[in-house]
Amino acid sequence: MPYNAGMDPKGPIPVSLFFTCLADAFSPGVCNATVEVLERFGATVRVPLSQTCCGQPAFNSGNRKEARAMARKFLLTFPDEGPIVTPSGSCAAMVKHGYPVLFRNEPRMLARARAVGDRIFELSQFLVDVLGVTDPKSDFSGKVTYHDSCHLRRGLGVVSAPRKLLRAVPGVEFVEMEESDRCCGFGGVFSLKNPQISCKMTERKVERILATGASYVTSGDLGCLLNIGGLISRFGYPVKAIHLAEILAGGTGGLSSFAADAASEDARPPGTIRRAGGR
Amino acid sequence: MELNANAFGRNSRKALLDKTLQEALGRTTGRFQAHRDAAVAAFPEFEATRERASRIKRDVLDHLDTYLARFIAEAEKRGTIVHVARDAAQAREIAARIARDEGVTLAVKSKSMASEEISFNEALQGAGVTVVESDLGEFIIQLAGEAPSHIIAPAVHKTREQISRLFERHLGEPPTDSIPELVGMARKHLRAKFLSAGMGVSGGNFLVADTGSVVLVTNEGNGRMGTVLPRVHLAVVGIEKVIPRMADLPTFLRILPRSASGQAISSYVSIVTGTRRAGDPEGPERMHILLLDCGRSAILEGKYREILKCVRCAACLNACPVYQSVGGHAYGWVYSGPIGAVLTPLLVGLPEAAALPDASTLCGACADVCPVKIPLPDFLLELRSDAREQGLKTPGEIAAMKGYAGVMKRAGLLEAIERIAGVLGQFFTKGKGIGGLPYPFSGWTERRDFPAPAARPFRKQWKIKRGARG
Repeated sequence: MPYNAGMDPKGPIPVSLFFTCLADAFSPGVCNATVEVLERFGATVRVPLSQTCCGQPAFNSGNRKEARAMARKFLLTFPDEGPIVTPSGSCAAMVKHGYPVLFRNEPRMLARARAVGDRIFELSQFLVDVLGVTDPKSDFSGKVTYHDSCHLRRGLGVVSAPRKLLRAVPGVEFVEMEESDRCCGFGGVFSLKNPQISCKMTERKVERILATGASYVTSGDLGCLLNIGGLISRFGYPVKAIHLAEILAGGTGGLSSFAADAASEDARPPGTIRRAGGR
Repeated sequence: MELNANAFGRNSRKALLDKTLQEALGRTTGRFQAHRDAAVAAFPEFEATRERASRIKRDVLDHLDTYLARFIAEAEKRGTIVHVARDAAQAREIAARIARDEGVTLAVKSKSMASEEISFNEALQGAGVTVVESDLGEFIIQLAGEAPSHIIAPAVHKTREQISRLFERHLGEPPTDSIPELVGMARKHLRAKFLSAGMGVSGGNFLVADTGSVVLVTNEGNGRMGTVLPRVHLAVVGIEKVIPRMADLPTFLRILPRSASGQAISSYVSIVTGTRRAGDPEGPERMHILLLDCGRSAILEGKYREILKCVRCAACLNACPVYQSVGGHAYGWVYSGPIGAVLTPLLVGLPEAAALPDASTLCGACADVCPVKIPLPDFLLELRSDAREQGLKTPGEIAAMKGYAGVMKRAGLLEAIERIAGVLGQFFTKGKGIGGLPYPFSGWTERRDFPAPAARPFRKQWKIKRGARG
């Protein structure tokens, strides 16, 4: 990969975290887990604190004026060099593929958008393709199935990285679900504009998840997980939605948004998470 | 065909509650996709062929006037009479005139989606001509008085039980749940029509410019019978269906049946080149081709040009989880699924169909399977943006987007809102999911919980632990 070319392989790897507005507000545990995993593999994590939203909901609903304003802010918020890592395939795909569309008539911003797009990575992609991680050093244990988020799989072409990482966790019994690459029905604004169709698709996804007998369903996108987790929570199914970062960090809970018992853990500041690595 | 595309929301809710439809969709849509995937997997050259097909189509669109002129000249040289219709009204007029001038009272028609665009059957019926659909699926829905719900399987929304009841009522056949028996009944009924029809009407999968031929890709043999038995053959075809050379045809024949039905080749490929010549054992004495513009040349001039590459294989419908959930009628016009969500607004005008581009999660499954590489999700996004620019968004959506963008401009404001939401969320839900939200979010919580906002967002946690410097 172009990124660490010229970087000292043994030196610290400066990484900017794009934590995403969704995880910030609903599942900060995912952000903490991402930091934990990145630091475990030698990254120095910087968090630009003025970041907000990449603008995807506005872009995807056709409201490009608003999307452009957010994209402009994003491009000015993140530093000029070094990788940007995010625990979301969807937000990374937005920056990579959406921004060039938004700035197609502004050559200067377009160049910047392309440059930033080249430097943005989804977490599992960064770990496997850039850092060459083969053993995530996680003590997570449980039977896990994986949902391919559409934008991670089709937008970024990341299919094998999350699976490699999951299979490399000794305590994880990994099981593929049928139709793992079929949309869960979230689709952002789609789930509000066409909630009944969205829910029908989510029901089919959850059926496939339950058929695996897994205790956890994981993914690289929080949007999918909140959607799937929302249906699981409503019907009380015996499976937990958990972000891939949380499995890699060695958490035990699953998305805190639907679980009262995890609420306190959720508020835990970064750094206090039990270190799972270094065994 | 009557246009009802902006009622997509209402149509789809009805479709979701229709148990028979859901059963029919469940039985068939997954099978199409599985067959397509297997056929593509068994054909290692698929990707390269797809690339070539896409390139040929792009070249056609870049020089459409040249290729069309060549096609018309070659077809006329072989005795075919070529007509060009600017819009649906003109197409109906021409079709009715052809039938009248040829003295036709009964026409048999094989499957043609283009003919649905212009309400062809109604036009001929208005001119006193009976039109009998001869494709099995089309025959069934004609009896039911319905429109096709799928590009290649127009009656995919019907169960065999419903079909048997239709045959009982309209053809006087005994009830049966055997598909071969149902097919036999339709065949018996249609055979008589084929033998007495004065005109056979077809669509056209390809128009070959260097030979003036119309190519039909079919499975039932009705297209072949309808183009050789009756005295007159009329083909109704969109202008974008032209390909440069007969030598290009194999490229398309390799991708179309595989993408459509998972077949390496369809049961029939008919190449109709002009009228019957001296010594020909069969073929029409008179041949007409009605070329439809109907909005296509306008599309050609704009940013959606590549949508005209479409070969109508319906792979995008079969791959689309939204189509699979609601079926084709919800889309409210001729074309459904992802291709319909893009093509319908372009052909009938965005104000008449602005709900369709929203009928997608942008999952990209359609673009994955499209055999001519049409960027369907990009076009859906582009149309949504056009809708905003043309003033077709609700004031509520625009206000919400402006408010959201306003908050996202300032991290401090976002943080303050998150803090309030976190406190309220934790207080009311004790950290569990939210079971009921007010409109416009109420749809989400009908059967799903909404996540509770975190008591302390990540940004705040990070500041506490590592300081405000970032």
